[in-house]
Amino acid sequence: MSHTIRIALAALVLSAGAVLAQPQPGSPSGQNPTTRAVNEEQLLREFERLDGRVTIPDSKAATLEQPQGREWRTFREGWLPWIAGIAILGMLLALVIFYFTKGRVRLDHSEESGTKILRFNTFERFTHWLTASSFIVLGLTGLNYIFGKRILMPLIGPDAFSALSQWGKYAHNYLAWPFMLGILFMMVVWLRDNIPNRVDAAWLKAGGGFLGDAHPSAGRFNAGQKIVFWIVMLGGIAMSVTGIILMFPISAVDVNGIQLNQAIHAIIGVLFVAAILAHIYIGSLGMEGAYDAMGSGEVDLAWARRHHDLWVEEQQAKTASGPQLGGSRPIPAE
Amino acid sequence: MLTKRKSGDAGRAKLQGLAAGLASGTLDRRSFLRRSGLAAGGLAALGSLQLGAVRKAEAAGSSVSGPSVQIKTNICTHCSVGCTVKAEVVNGVWVGQEPGWESPINRGSHCAKGAAIRELVHSERRLKYPLKLVNGVWTKIGWDVAINEIGDKMMELRQQSGADSVYWLGSAKFTNEASYLMRKFGAFWGTNSIDHQARICHSTTVAGVANTWGYGAQTNSYNDIRNAKTMLFIGSNAAEAHPVAMQHLLASKELNRGNMIVCDPRFTRTAAHATEYVRFRSGTDIPVIWGMLWHIFQNGWEDKDFIAQRVYGMDDVRKEVAKWTPDEVERVTGVPEAQMKRIAFQFSNEKPATLIWCMGATQHTVGTANVRAFCILCLATGNVGKPGTGANIFRGHTNVQGATDLGLDITTLPLYYGLVEGAWKHWARVWDVDYDWLQAQFDEVPAKAGRPARTKKQNMETPGITSTRWADATNLPEDQIDQKGRLRAMIVMGHGGNTVSRIPEMVKALEKLDLLVVADPHPTTFAAISGRKNGTYLLPICTSLEMDGSRTASNRSLQWGEQIVQPAFESKNDYEVMYMLAKKLGFADKMFKNIKVENNVPSAEDLLREINRGGWSTGYCGQSPERLKAHMKNQAKFDLVTLRAPKDDPEVGGDYYGLPWPCWGKPEIRHPGTPILYNTNLHVKDGGGCFRARFGIERNGQTLLAEDSFSLGSDLTDGYPEFTYGMLKKLGWEGDLTAEERATITRIGGANPDTVSWAIDLSGGIQRVCLEHGVMHYGNGKARANAWNLPDPVPVHREPIYTPRPDLVAKYPTRPDAREFRLPNIGFSVQKAAVDKGISKQFPIILSSGRLVEYEGGGEETRSNPWLAELQQDMFVEVNVTDAAERGIKDGSWVWVLGPENDAKTKVKALVTERVGRGVAWMPFHFSGWYQGVDQRGNYPPGTDPVVLGESVNTVTTYGFDPVTGMHETKVTLCQIRAA
Amino acid sequence: MARMKFLCDADRCIECNACVTACKNEHEVPWGINRRRVVTLNDGKPGERSISMACMHCTDAPCAAVCPVNCFYTTADAVVLHSKDLCIGCGYCFYACPFGAPQYPRVGNFGSRGKMDKCTYCAGGPEADLSTAEYEKYGSNRLAEGKLPLCAEMCSTKSLLAGDGDVIAQIYKERVVRRGYGSGAWGWKTAYRETVAI
Repeated sequence: MSHTIRIALAALVLSAGAVLAQPQPGSPSGQNPTTRAVNEEQLLREFERLDGRVTIPDSKAATLEQPQGREWRTFREGWLPWIAGIAILGMLLALVIFYFTKGRVRLDHSEESGTKILRFNTFERFTHWLTASSFIVLGLTGLNYIFGKRILMPLIGPDAFSALSQWGKYAHNYLAWPFMLGILFMMVVWLRDNIPNRVDAAWLKAGGGFLGDAHPSAGRFNAGQKIVFWIVMLGGIAMSVTGIILMFPISAVDVNGIQLNQAIHAIIGVLFVAAILAHIYIGSLGMEGAYDAMGSGEVDLAWARRHHDLWVEEQQAKTASGPQLGGSRPIPAE
Repeated sequence: MLTKRKSGDAGRAKLQGLAAGLASGTLDRRSFLRRSGLAAGGLAALGSLQLGAVRKAEAAGSSVSGPSVQIKTNICTHCSVGCTVKAEVVNGVWVGQEPGWESPINRGSHCAKGAAIRELVHSERRLKYPLKLVNGVWTKIGWDVAINEIGDKMMELRQQSGADSVYWLGSAKFTNEASYLMRKFGAFWGTNSIDHQARICHSTTVAGVANTWGYGAQTNSYNDIRNAKTMLFIGSNAAEAHPVAMQHLLASKELNRGNMIVCDPRFTRTAAHATEYVRFRSGTDIPVIWGMLWHIFQNGWEDKDFIAQRVYGMDDVRKEVAKWTPDEVERVTGVPEAQMKRIAFQFSNEKPATLIWCMGATQHTVGTANVRAFCILCLATGNVGKPGTGANIFRGHTNVQGATDLGLDITTLPLYYGLVEGAWKHWARVWDVDYDWLQAQFDEVPAKAGRPARTKKQNMETPGITSTRWADATNLPEDQIDQKGRLRAMIVMGHGGNTVSRIPEMVKALEKLDLLVVADPHPTTFAAISGRKNGTYLLPICTSLEMDGSRTASNRSLQWGEQIVQPAFESKNDYEVMYMLAKKLGFADKMFKNIKVENNVPSAEDLLREINRGGWSTGYCGQSPERLKAHMKNQAKFDLVTLRAPKDDPEVGGDYYGLPWPCWGKPEIRHPGTPILYNTNLHVKDGGGCFRARFGIERNGQTLLAEDSFSLGSDLTDGYPEFTYGMLKKLGWEGDLTAEERATITRIGGANPDTVSWAIDLSGGIQRVCLEHGVMHYGNGKARANAWNLPDPVPVHREPIYTPRPDLVAKYPTRPDAREFRLPNIGFSVQKAAVDKGISKQFPIILSSGRLVEYEGGGEETRSNPWLAELQQDMFVEVNVTDAAERGIKDGSWVWVLGPENDAKTKVKALVTERVGRGVAWMPFHFSGWYQGVDQRGNYPPGTDPVVLGESVNTVTTYGFDPVTGMHETKVTLCQIRAA
Repeated sequence: MARMKFLCDADRCIECNACVTACKNEHEVPWGINRRRVVTLNDGKPGERSISMACMHCTDAPCAAVCPVNCFYTTADAVVLHSKDLCIGCGYCFYACPFGAPQYPRVGNFGSRGKMDKCTYCAGGPEADLSTAEYEKYGSNRLAEGKLPLCAEMCSTKSLLAGDGDVIAQIYKERVVRRGYGSGAWGWKTAYRETVAI
């Protein structure tokens, strides 16, 4: 990571405009321009990067030399595969261990009420799956930039791998937009229910029910879900901003900026993938019945009472005709 | 990991592949051009490279045995360095360029323009067929129709307003042969108003230098500068204007650990490589030189022997120089004493020293005087006539030297024969045409506004109108124009329309013309800038890469260029167009009497032979086409520094490269050419010489002939005047003439054969005999520090018309108003008015102009070349950081540059830089196509608009003309700059 | 085999851009792609120097290292080339390149950078030497014809040197010793991890 920091520092220094060499005091007349010639070594000591003037209207061409390219290369080829590998494999390992030690969180079928309550409406589910599906492609194609040539290319050969990566690049660039849209929608529909409150502290203290047998109280979203929401929000925004900058290279930031930007995009990206792996685990394999909420959108009232008691109370209070929550008429989430 | 074997044995397979593609018949030449133009023209992806498309044909089955690759050799058409262009041609298509390693001048090198020159021929933006403006619409016409209509209109105007009502502009891009032909055309048409770019580049140099020591050209060569210990640049930015010359200059600096002093108001790319940079105020060249001479005289650093033997009038200079004390020099120029003394010391003590100047010095109202001052500095320090010394005047176009030599000039006939009876008769003899018939072609001029009338003979001997003033000769009232009628037609062959100051005046004049003919590869500014609706013809002319002929580089070397490809599209070469027009006007038979014409195309070789037959005065007599071609074939044999081939070579033995003029006598006597003018350390048969005894024998009791100085091995060991047949007789040398030579001399001389001089002796006998005796037939004179026939015999400082220092005008005013070249020059009145009105307060910034390396001249050709255009996409003004800050101008933003005349304004981008000092702005002069903020792209004939357009600096340049040559002032005017 | 390098003698470079247009001419490089360019440092001030820059054909080239599809390769002459068939136009080589060499034709909207293009040292690409396919994708292959890059061959002041690294370093050394000054072998330390010691 120290390299990333160095890049960051370099970018800061450079963006301060210190790159164009120092002004000469007074008139240049009377001087010997030959003996005063600039010297690469000295310039690089002073400025880290060499910028000058070019006549073509391409600002990046005016950078003569940016040795930081070598540092970014060390980050990308030296550090990033390890960071990514540890984050993702580590998460998978943790989940596997959790699965085998704790097992699947079962739903007690005897307690099933038979009555369904609508937990996520169609638009919410659309939003979730829009974001989720594009995220999966983005994650895989993103990881391909790091691991493809190390794992896939030896298996399928350079031509097939290049073709795949080319499509992967298009997919990554184009699916970024539905992903960003999904993030935006999520913010609109779920932000209010994800604002942390006192209930969350109790929920966390109780370990979310995973540690003991009792189910702590929770609103529409419990603290664990809120954490996932905020990971997705903040991660998504970070990925969006850095991603857009990468899509329009050297328009907002210079080459050192883009190096730093890429490093941020890559690191947040792999951590994001690792976090979402956990989310996928709990939403599917890790907890019985959880999937239904995003599948059909309806969950059993008993399950809902156990896991989101405060939310169910709220819904019932809102509904004049009492417990007819499972009726054909969908009840808005709010 | 992918790997690939790389071997070096595949040879020319690339071009053979290309050849096969062309041979397979799937592509004709035209479609090839179209496709390659497309690829080069825009944003085409790399995958669609068009050469590749051609080569697909090969892949489709043809074998590699196509027609062979031909290598054609021509000369770069841009600056005057004379770089050899090696073209690879397949089936009549120019497919590649290789370095011309063998050329001693460029040794394979090019600048941006030379390295991109192939595109000029391919360019999709060239004129493709003749066009005529019909009610404001460009209409395609045939060549015959065009020539007929133009000829008829010319005859009509001739009837109404005289031969002088048609103005002729030739080109510095012509070959020597075309230049000569056009001057001859002017003579046959009956006018002296025939000019070209030299007027606006080095006319003042030619006048100043020729009036000092005899010939108006660079004394040494680019290569010879390798011998210099000190180089002084003043008004030259060789790095951008003559990049390949820098190869020799930087070598000189490095090999000799020499001084490279750059005096320039602007810190140029050349200055960046200097050992001393001297910033001085624009337009104060004379005070700078006098300031140097003040120290030189003060310290006795002058070359006293040289002055005593070879210079007339230096004492008059001492008197003027004495006024330029270090304090006064600093007050006027801004250069401090210590620096002045340092450069004066280097130039006079660290010898050999050479002085290099260009348009920064010449384009002034004091241009000729500037040049004279430079020459005087060389003379005072003995820095002329030796290796490593001299006045190294870098000229600006391929053949501006040759075109000047061959008389595309309103004051001379070919090869500097003046407009006098003897000279006209000389050329009448060479042309084999009746002198009286020539005379009858000229106008009789009526008396006007108190001026006397002129007979045909007098008019024939009167200089024409300068290219800098043609617009005035259209706009001014008739009685102020000293010829039969005002200008009503312009025939422009290869001359930009944005190159002369005061464009608003030109636009008015263009709209008044009855006929405008532009014969050029591109439409030029002339075609686009005015609101003309009718009477404009555009004739597509090929580049000189598409024709045979010789070119004279700045160092006076002639190089033969061979046609690389046939003229593209429907274009024709200059020779053919002039022949067609002469035929239409009825004098083709007379004009081409001794010149072979095939399919309307006159032979370049025959034209050069005719030049050889008449070119005695300037030594254009020895460079036969055969000798020049042998030089091109044997380029590798010439030495890099001396430019000489080994004496034992069978073809070019002992010759200097390109037979630099003067190359005396007939080609058969094999004079080697003159690489360094006035060099007394060589025998005249080895290219030695002395100052020309051109100005008489004595003046005011002082001899004008050299004293105790003569060229090596001379039979005469003192000064001597010019040779005539009579002088040969006096010396008892007439017996050395052959009977044939004597017969020719007698025939020319008629009753007075003794008066036949070396310059009009068509037999070459006088020159031959003189060379045998080791003497120089043009005499052995002194150079003149005092040129009494010039307006300022000893140069004096005169403030620019629009000066930022009105306080100095009283002491250093410009010259009084006068009539020059048939027109009034009211510079004095304009200067006075500017001072009285306080113009320098409203327009506080000095505006100067100059070159960019990517473009050349008016720039239509180079701005149409995408490889070059990409590198300079916007017209700009260089503004000092402080001036910009004061005006809230940011680097790269739009600004208005406002001029003090005609409410002129230009909208350009700001380049905020310390290249220019505070209070100085600089603009490149190659742009046009925008006028006062308006994009005129739509005015060009469709498809011929240059890639890059921009404002022309000359929209805001102002009044001011050199009294000797009519040179315009483009280096010092005033402007104001505002954020747009 | 030679170890090919570029060396720009900045004390000779006058920013004439011959190298730039020679490259355009030789390879018919389209508008907007600049395989070579000249950058001026300290513009307008004493000390100003211009340097012609293109791909330096680095030792242990960063572009090759970061390429996610490994499309780069190094020839026996140490010229760094790439395959446009494999390139996906991701732009990473530009981030890694210390010299700004990689260029991308803009072939569409966001994210649609075309295949990377850069200086080939006039050595073509992975296709057969001097084949049509090679020319279409990479331009001329002068090295295969026994010639050096045209930019250096046409340099107006013999500032830009191309050829075996030891040979051009020797030429540069001799120049510096002869003239007594030299602003250094620009980019060498970054590209080749060595410089010309004088």
